[in-house]
Amino acid sequence: MTVAELGAALGLTPCTPVSDREVTGAIVSDLLSDVLANGAPDYVWITIQTHRNVAAVASAQGLAAVILTAGRAPNEDLVSLAETESVTVFTSLQPTYTVAGLLYGLGVR
Amino acid sequence: MELLAADLHIHSVLSPCGELSMSPRAIVARAVEVGIQVVALTDHNSARNAPALAAAAQAAGLCALFGLEVRSAEEVDVLTLFDTPADALAYGDWVHAALPSVPCDPALFGDQVVVDGEDEILGFEPHLLINAIEQPLDAVCAEARRRGALVLLAHVDRPANSVLSQLGFMPDDLPVDGVELSRFGDEDRLRAEHPALGGLPVVRFSDAHRPGEIGYQQTQFEVAAAGVTEFRAALEGRGGRRAVPVRRALA
Ligand SMILES: [Zn+2]
Repeated sequence: MTVAELGAALGLTPCTPVSDREVTGAIVSDLLSDVLANGAPDYVWITIQTHRNVAAVASAQGLAAVILTAGRAPNEDLVSLAETESVTVFTSLQPTYTVAGLLYGLGVR
Repeated sequence: MELLAADLHIHSVLSPCGELSMSPRAIVARAVEVGIQVVALTDHNSARNAPALAAAAQAAGLCALFGLEVRSAEEVDVLTLFDTPADALAYGDWVHAALPSVPCDPALFGDQVVVDGEDEILGFEPHLLINAIEQPLDAVCAEARRRGALVLLAHVDRPANSVLSQLGFMPDDLPVDGVELSRFGDEDRLRAEHPALGGLPVVRFSDAHRPGEIGYQQTQFEVAAAGVTEFRAALEGRGGRRAVPVRRALA
């Protein structure tokens, strides 16, 4: 499944241009250090954190996309860095648990 | 007794988020310019620019403390302030031993530059310093205290990397000397929302990442001299000493 397909299937709101990268897995975490240790290339990251270093960590780990949950909006500097680094950032009004469950149901394992 | 204007939360070029203009020498020059009498460097998870600050401060006749802003395993930021560069560096070794070996990509996070007191580049810190160390909050505080540090919970009102954002509450048994408020923080509201703060004193420092931010938040210490022991007594209101947090408009 691509980032674009995933965004459409979950009804996510894009904050940056949506890529066609193939998604290989996902990580749920609000600790950046956890994502630095356990994130992997082309993963989707589901989190409630909204500051600039989310984009820096996502790019450093080669993640394909970030989903900010529970109606949280990204800081402006998160969006601008994510655009520069070609990381797709989505928001969702649903809580992390629901987004993760739906993603799992779509076959992202 | 004298009243000393202190800014004890400042980032140098060693912090990836610190501007490249933030050399210890430039920090000292700006502090003098804005009437700060005591400065401290608190780079993320490292004290490697402490010797440079000592040299620059001594050359300018300015008092200095030597610190780190440690990021605990819970991603809570803690200010640890020591009287000497050697003490800060020794605690920094303990911190570094718990820092994951994740490289810093300067294009994403910024450069982590080690300099001397005259702005000469000595090297670059390779490991990402804004990572969390593999030590819990209570151990970060206790180890710093054991080594003689003044320990303050950083920007407790902020929505990220503060004790309240990460834990959601104030633990009642943390060995700390006080809590720091960011420029957005209001002491009355904080105490109303978190009665567990109890008698913990509040300080304000700039958390400067750019020269123009130095000193716009500060704490004025009425003490016999600058130093950890005197500042702790001021925070506790002992022996006629006191500490007054001050917030100014950003220049
Ligand atoms: Zn800081």
